[in-house]
Amino acid sequence: MRTRNWVLISVVALLVLAGASIPAAGQGRGGRGGGRGGGGAAPPAPVTPGPIPRMPDGRPDLRGTFSGMGAGLTHTVILEEHTSGFGIRGGKSLIIDPPDGKIPYQPWALVERDRRREDINAYEDPVGHCEFYDIGRLHSFAQRFMYSGNNIVVGAQEQIMRVIDMNRRQHLPPSIRLWLGDPIGRWEGDTLVIDSTNFNGKTRMALGGDFYSASAHVVERYTMRDSETITWTMTVDDPTVFTRPWTFTTAAPMTRQREGSNDWNRALRLIDPAWEHDCHEGNVVLKHMRNVYEQAHGITPTAESKR
Amino acid sequence: MAIFAVALAAGASSVSYPVAAQAPAGAPAYTPPRTPEGHPDLQGVWRAWNLAKYDLEAHGAKPGVPAGLGFVVDPADGKIPYQPWALEKREQNYQGTRATDPYLNTDPYAKCYFPGIPRLTYLGWPFQIIQTAGDVNFAYEWSHKKRIVPVTDAFGPRPDPEDGLNARWNGMARGRYEGNSLVVDLTNFNPYTWFDMAGNFHSEALHVVERYTLIGPDALQYEATMEDSKVFTRPWTIRMVLQRQKDIGLLDYECTAMLDELGIHHTWPRDFDVQ
Repeated sequence: MRTRNWVLISVVALLVLAGASIPAAGQGRGGRGGGRGGGGAAPPAPVTPGPIPRMPDGRPDLRGTFSGMGAGLTHTVILEEHTSGFGIRGGKSLIIDPPDGKIPYQPWALVERDRRREDINAYEDPVGHCEFYDIGRLHSFAQRFMYSGNNIVVGAQEQIMRVIDMNRRQHLPPSIRLWLGDPIGRWEGDTLVIDSTNFNGKTRMALGGDFYSASAHVVERYTMRDSETITWTMTVDDPTVFTRPWTFTTAAPMTRQREGSNDWNRALRLIDPAWEHDCHEGNVVLKHMRNVYEQAHGITPTAESKR
Repeated sequence: MAIFAVALAAGASSVSYPVAAQAPAGAPAYTPPRTPEGHPDLQGVWRAWNLAKYDLEAHGAKPGVPAGLGFVVDPADGKIPYQPWALEKREQNYQGTRATDPYLNTDPYAKCYFPGIPRLTYLGWPFQIIQTAGDVNFAYEWSHKKRIVPVTDAFGPRPDPEDGLNARWNGMARGRYEGNSLVVDLTNFNPYTWFDMAGNFHSEALHVVERYTLIGPDALQYEATMEDSKVFTRPWTIRMVLQRQKDIGLLDYECTAMLDELGIHHTWPRDFDVQ
């Protein structure tokens, strides 16, 4: 009986943690009325990639919505090569360095990663609490690029709106720790390089439990290849957790999303006001995750967790 | 800091106490810069340094709350024009905010739920405005909230607000530019948000019109008109001035994580979920 409960909970937890926020019952979600629905649209006409669009200063014009996803929830869950199961599709490793496709954890950190991967510990993931994400999780979302003054703004689904400061050269004082770190941007040719430190160490890179610590230094590289394509890599350097820096990328190159494109339904969430990125407000699942956690770890339920 | 905030509140409050920051009638209007699309450029980080989050009406000191003037500029008496039953409900709401357990506290903000509009504007945390050709994006430091206001007709008319499936915490927005102002029209609200910590509230019939107007390089006038035939006897309007934040951009305040840090597990039932 308990095992069966855990399986059920696992599937629910996956849906939650994979980034499908929980709507409060009674609140219709995006695309329903009021929005341009993606369902049933005719397949898009093939788009021939053109040259890189440019701003007046010659820098690439990234503006638009791009997605490197299209393989369901797969890579939200596990970054390394993995088999299917529990509603997760199998997938190849997203790690391009080191060449073996494995995250170069220090021994203690690998043990910790595997502990976090256990279903019975899923309650510990802040995303299940509708708390904040991690830059690493962006790879499974459509991303919308906007230019605003000295900022490049990257919006993604849920509550994510990253404001990249293109002018500042010095990171914030170490006493300020942020969920997505402190991002500072610069251009290297046609590549937007985002350098982030000042993490809070509370986040996970995926449901599979992969993590870095508050001392991580993360460098992302968004390279515009043509009018339709951006590639993204993220390099994580954290001597507290890993034996060497490592780099991963999206499941596919990020392609521009238009009505009817492969990931248009999710791209729509970034522009359609019918989408409200609520989660905590309707998070009735958290109670069950906590109950499972308490049972599994022999924690005596409190009056609070029973209500 | 408190004195500073009180002074600002007075400056931004009622028609009875006009202050220069209110751009009095007859003064030359500020001409804001324009975006490449020709819209008034409202972009940047803004913050309400005032007491509106405590109470939109003039009020005496309460535990943890400094006394201050109100922000209601219409009606002229500075009071929210409640129907009689609703005035009683507002008092009940306020009494319920004394509960220290967020689950028992009547203020949805105590549970870290969406504060709604206009409350999110003057909650006290900064927010950033990002304008594109087709929409205006608001990014809020408080719990990383964000909202999108289209300024074209790309999304057509809004669905029927009477259908509960179309209710939103922040309402459903349609925007337009009028002269130097961004005007945001909001309908399709759910009935669960409040206007402040004093228990001021509305129903699902709420209709809000927000008006953002640059009145100086670093001063953004914010007006919101509320209409709700189920709760109020007439529409009413608040006005305040938001200040540009220049030292740093948006940082973090993840409200639910703060509950966790306090040992409050927010696993409570969601009352609107079982109705």
